[in-house]
Amino acid sequence: MKNEIAKNKPMDRRGFLKTSALLGGSAACLGAVEKINGEGFGRDKINYPLNDAKNVIYSVCLQCHTACPIKVKIENGVAVKIDGNPYSIQNMNSPIPTSTDIEVGAKIDAGICPKGQAGIQTIYDPYRVVKVLKRDGKRGENKWKVIPFDQAVTEVVEGGKLFANIPGEENRVVEGLRQVRVLKDAKVAKAMASDAMNVGKGKMSLADFKAKHAAHLDVLIDPDQPDLGPKNNQFLMLAGRMEHGRKELAKRWQRGAYGSNNFMEHTTVCEQSHHIAYKQVTSQYVDGGKWKIVSEHMKPDFRNARFVIFFGTGFVEANFGPPIMANLVTNAVTNEGCKVAVVDPRFSKSAAKAWQWVPVRPGGDAALIYGMIRWMFENDKINKEFLVNANKAAAKKANEESWTSATHLIAYDKEGPAKKLRASDLGIGTSDQFVTTVDGKPVAVNTNDKLNPIVGDLFFKGELNGIKVKSELYMVKEYALSKSMDEWAKEAGLSVKEIVKLVREYTKYGRQAGAEMYRGPVQHTNGYFNGMAVIYLNMLVGNIDYNGGLIKGGGHYHEDGSKGGPFNLKKDVFAGKTKAFGHKITREGSYYEHSSYFQKNGYPAKRPWFPHTGNVYQEAIPSMDDAYPYGVKILMTIMGTPLLSNPAAQMSMKTILDFKKTPLYIANDVAIGETSMFADYIFPDYAIWERWGTPHVPPSAVTKMSKFRQPTIEPLTDVVSVFGEEQHIGFESMLLAFAEKLGLPGFGDDGFGKGMPFKRVEDWYLKLAANIAAGDHKGDALPQADEKEIKIFKEARRHMTSATFDFGRWAKACTDANGKSWFKETIYLLNRGARGEDFTKYTKNVENSDKILHKFGKMFNFYCEKVANTRHSYTGKKFSGISRYNPAIDYAGKEVVGSSAYPLKSITYKPITGGQARTQAVDYWLQAIMPENTIDLNTQTALEMGFKDGDMAKIVSADNPEGVWDLGPSGKKPMIGKIRTVEGLKPGVLNTSWSFGHWAYCARDIVVDGKVIKGEKSREAGICSNAALTVDSGLKNSTLEDLIGGSAVFYDSFVGLVKA
Amino acid sequence: MSELYTDILKNNFKGVAMSKEELSRVDEKLTLETDESRRDFLDKFSKGIFGGLIASGVVNALAPVQAKAKMDGSNLNFSEPFKPFDLPPETPGEDGILRMMRDIQRALKKPIEQRHWKMVIDLRKCVGCDACSVSCAAENKLPPGVIYRPVIQQEIGSYPNVGHVTLPRPCMHCDEPPCVPVCPAEATWKRPDGIVIVDYDQCIGCRYCLNACPYDARTFDFGMEYIDGAADAPKVFLGKEKAGKYETEASYEYEKEWKREGEESPIGNARKCHFCIPRIEKGMLPECVVTCIGRATYFGDGNDPQSLVSELIALPNAFRLKEEVGTHPSVYYIK
Repeated sequence: MKNEIAKNKPMDRRGFLKTSALLGGSAACLGAVEKINGEGFGRDKINYPLNDAKNVIYSVCLQCHTACPIKVKIENGVAVKIDGNPYSIQNMNSPIPTSTDIEVGAKIDAGICPKGQAGIQTIYDPYRVVKVLKRDGKRGENKWKVIPFDQAVTEVVEGGKLFANIPGEENRVVEGLRQVRVLKDAKVAKAMASDAMNVGKGKMSLADFKAKHAAHLDVLIDPDQPDLGPKNNQFLMLAGRMEHGRKELAKRWQRGAYGSNNFMEHTTVCEQSHHIAYKQVTSQYVDGGKWKIVSEHMKPDFRNARFVIFFGTGFVEANFGPPIMANLVTNAVTNEGCKVAVVDPRFSKSAAKAWQWVPVRPGGDAALIYGMIRWMFENDKINKEFLVNANKAAAKKANEESWTSATHLIAYDKEGPAKKLRASDLGIGTSDQFVTTVDGKPVAVNTNDKLNPIVGDLFFKGELNGIKVKSELYMVKEYALSKSMDEWAKEAGLSVKEIVKLVREYTKYGRQAGAEMYRGPVQHTNGYFNGMAVIYLNMLVGNIDYNGGLIKGGGHYHEDGSKGGPFNLKKDVFAGKTKAFGHKITREGSYYEHSSYFQKNGYPAKRPWFPHTGNVYQEAIPSMDDAYPYGVKILMTIMGTPLLSNPAAQMSMKTILDFKKTPLYIANDVAIGETSMFADYIFPDYAIWERWGTPHVPPSAVTKMSKFRQPTIEPLTDVVSVFGEEQHIGFESMLLAFAEKLGLPGFGDDGFGKGMPFKRVEDWYLKLAANIAAGDHKGDALPQADEKEIKIFKEARRHMTSATFDFGRWAKACTDANGKSWFKETIYLLNRGARGEDFTKYTKNVENSDKILHKFGKMFNFYCEKVANTRHSYTGKKFSGISRYNPAIDYAGKEVVGSSAYPLKSITYKPITGGQARTQAVDYWLQAIMPENTIDLNTQTALEMGFKDGDMAKIVSADNPEGVWDLGPSGKKPMIGKIRTVEGLKPGVLNTSWSFGHWAYCARDIVVDGKVIKGEKSREAGICSNAALTVDSGLKNSTLEDLIGGSAVFYDSFVGLVKA
Repeated sequence: MSELYTDILKNNFKGVAMSKEELSRVDEKLTLETDESRRDFLDKFSKGIFGGLIASGVVNALAPVQAKAKMDGSNLNFSEPFKPFDLPPETPGEDGILRMMRDIQRALKKPIEQRHWKMVIDLRKCVGCDACSVSCAAENKLPPGVIYRPVIQQEIGSYPNVGHVTLPRPCMHCDEPPCVPVCPAEATWKRPDGIVIVDYDQCIGCRYCLNACPYDARTFDFGMEYIDGAADAPKVFLGKEKAGKYETEASYEYEKEWKREGEESPIGNARKCHFCIPRIEKGMLPECVVTCIGRATYFGDGNDPQSLVSELIALPNAFRLKEEVGTHPSVYYIK
């Protein structure tokens, strides 16, 4: 019941504000006095439906790649609140047991970061694309028309004069997906694939190839270069953020069904070199001369560490990721006496919690680490007891889990260090055995031998059988001692005192110290080696597999069915599956020496080849520009924005605007983004909370866990019919529609085998869910959902139409080839959004052992033989086998240097509120916290350059003296931002954050169906500094790169500032 | 101990979630001209327009009496006992969330006047992520300009000896709340369990309380929506009707469901943190506590010596903000 004043209050209040405040106010007082007893207050009246299991659906966030499990609370079909999932170790220090009643689980909320919370505003962005848009003006002019989905599918598949209404394109004939898919016969592909690659390797002559495959040469991009593969490869699917579940589906479509080898993701603009460093250092020798990749990501055990150094990252922002790490590290630092050091030119929020901030020069990480390593050698602070173990048996005997290659010998040839010495080279064993010396005498080592322990000499240098050899640790020590402490300190931009203080502390805690990294040290031309150096720090203190040391994490239940799940989607055999072949457009996974280009041209290669890495995002469009190794006819981007996210991305605008280089561009996006703005068609995608996925857990999760993304609300995109099924438009249904139109194998009625259709999105993902529910071995399955749980499961989806949820249909998707239903086990999983092993296993283990629960238990390499045997595609010189410090150089070998006009080293960071491109543009709550980003300078640097806090300035560089993003028909966007002077930044460094500086996302007005739709200017705030970053002088149209790890280089460029 | 934070509170009130864009929307709504900061904006209102009123004898004479009358809990209806639910069995090293939920369940079994809700914020663990601010805004459907729990942040020191201070600032739920006696409508008062509430149905939107609060814990609901500045193009995009739904679904504050419709409450009311009453009464923790990724915020019954908050409040490095003003906050900080 309201009092009189309350009833009248709108008018009263406005009048109150505008006019006679005193009078109005007094009247209000008197009125209120008469109404003392309002309604009663108390628990009895409280209705709080958000804690009811039937209003909750668990899913997984993707506002960043940490992909935290979330609990989405739904009212009237609307996602109203997002919290963390209590069943997940990513959200709770110790998750609640998977067996916990879901009605109890609904009442326990767990942690989640602000951008995870703000996901609601990404779902409900008023400018969200929900229908197919087709370009209705010049590319990039931001003029569109809405067209029916079916029409769009037909046009994209069949091609033709698709843009005849646009001046200049009247007669432009566009090839569609059907025309580009020239090779349709799986048998022909299979017959041709290895022969074609053998021509590249020089193992088969072109003449022989042509003779053998004479009938099918027309399917090849270039019959004279069969290793480029079939014309199908000219359809490039380029994904930004795409993780497990969707990734495998995209590959099934692109490679197995369509027959194009060109599917790749964005990882090199993130932190790929960090993964490649881990992959190489932890790769395991397999008899026959191969190295097997076993791990790409490890982390210090923040629960038990006593000292952790964070290199170019932290636990509060970005990384992998804040909800799990912040909670562990703050507890360790506050309650467990752990100390943290943060090595970063920027004083981050993590540094704020640190014992020491170490403001390294950007890119000086390896120099700093080699200074530390030198001190460790000189002060006898390496863990020799750990490092002497040459094989598994020795490790076992010494009560270790893992071991290193420290004592293994490297053979030198005339070029320098070459391969690992084999026992056969000395006539003391086989070619699968390495060699170490014991008391100076060579001994054959089978590294995985469990029975005969070999303890080797750490430092050996000599000549054996006429071969010059050094032990791996000798090489590391020799390199560490090759510069004085002063020299290392100078390169690191630090004082010797600072380095010694850091390393002294690091070596105080035995195995309970660790070194962590993410993006900062590795997005450099020397990135891979910087990453390797960080891993060395861990190896040298022998912390691997120890509580408080370097750990691999608990792992996950295998959603691909590779461990005995009911649906083996790893093998994923289906009728008509094609063998995709040929070098990828980015030349990832290929040795230059194995290409017909090398056979023809030798060194230098026009662009680099990347045998040891993948997902080399920044190479895709520049390679299209150069048509190297071949041109692309159709580009598709998915949840990615290469024209914004890549360093020197402005160089790619002209490629996208050029119909010859990009004849057709299809984007799949939730918005008209910075890159999709240049597309010919935009197909709407589901928002994260409307879709599916099976991302994996980070290594900081000490117990085994899987999480599962599923739709929490009815998708907001239009409903269409695909394979005769009503479904919402999204990435998956778009691919299904293309598959239907093209008649691709592996989709439709018998997509998964007889009677097992693949006609809807859940046909795929529910099988992944069933695999997780079934577990990794017999007896590992989750319990079956009981009647109560099944009832709640249905009620929680009462807001969904049959276009999304149908109990019977979902049940069918969970039925395996033997007719066994896994639906009830799957419901048990879906009702929790995660499953994990009993956490008390971990706590008991910590009490009883100094080793971590889930152990790596394998060899770590100081010398990475595979990389050491790879040649730089420009110079033809071999890469180093051990980590080295190198100054920033480009592809052609030119050192990256500053000048008086461009004196500042540019760096970037991600505040916790921002992704690289998304989140901040559309999430109003995040905008409220951080409405714009700034150009940060150290106060002293600003003073010297004549800037003060709040000044407006433009970022310029030698490669972009004008300081603009050239957006073609949409004009130029200058990189003008507000200066913020700070103390917490290394002098001489310019720092900006990501997620700002948008030109699309409806920040500006757009035209649709001839009508202007007003943009929202707040979305355009701030700057994105990518267009100022260095253009590689050897490549001329793209960024600097790490040639081993493949990372795009964000932190080696010099820029300048001019007043604006 | 707390001087630094008092200074920061005073000098750096950047916490209110209002961008320039939004401020200009306020301008339009109220036909007022201001391009000053939100703080200045509120000051202009409260000090310039209403300042005189606060000193007026009418208000001061009447209000305390009534506030006291309500503090005995006589108008609270707690006849329905709290229904506890089974939490997972206690295990060593369990997450603090579970321990605190046990604390709450224990407290809720007691009569209301025997518990005193207290919050403890461990500033050593606060990472300045703003998750609590956003979670609170989402939970309570807060419009632009209204914020219950800003996290005030400031860089201190000089290169290379730098620090970054964070200060989450909810309502302090003072035992001597200065906001209560100034309310001319008797719309704000303290419950026997320590929570200071705003009765939206009684609140006339005069905003004396905004000015009276020494912690700037209250903001005013101007009735804006986050999507106000966007164009509405439902034939092309999602459109504003569908986009705005999450803002207009019910919020559960105090004992009611509030819908943002027309000019109805809570639009036009003073608003502030209420310790998530509906959640507490159901045995759950406030949103800022559960969402905290640094596990820096604690909540529980200060009258229960077994509770986690009681343990923390007893630490030698615990303090309260602005002790000198004599408000006796229920929110403690640890440094």
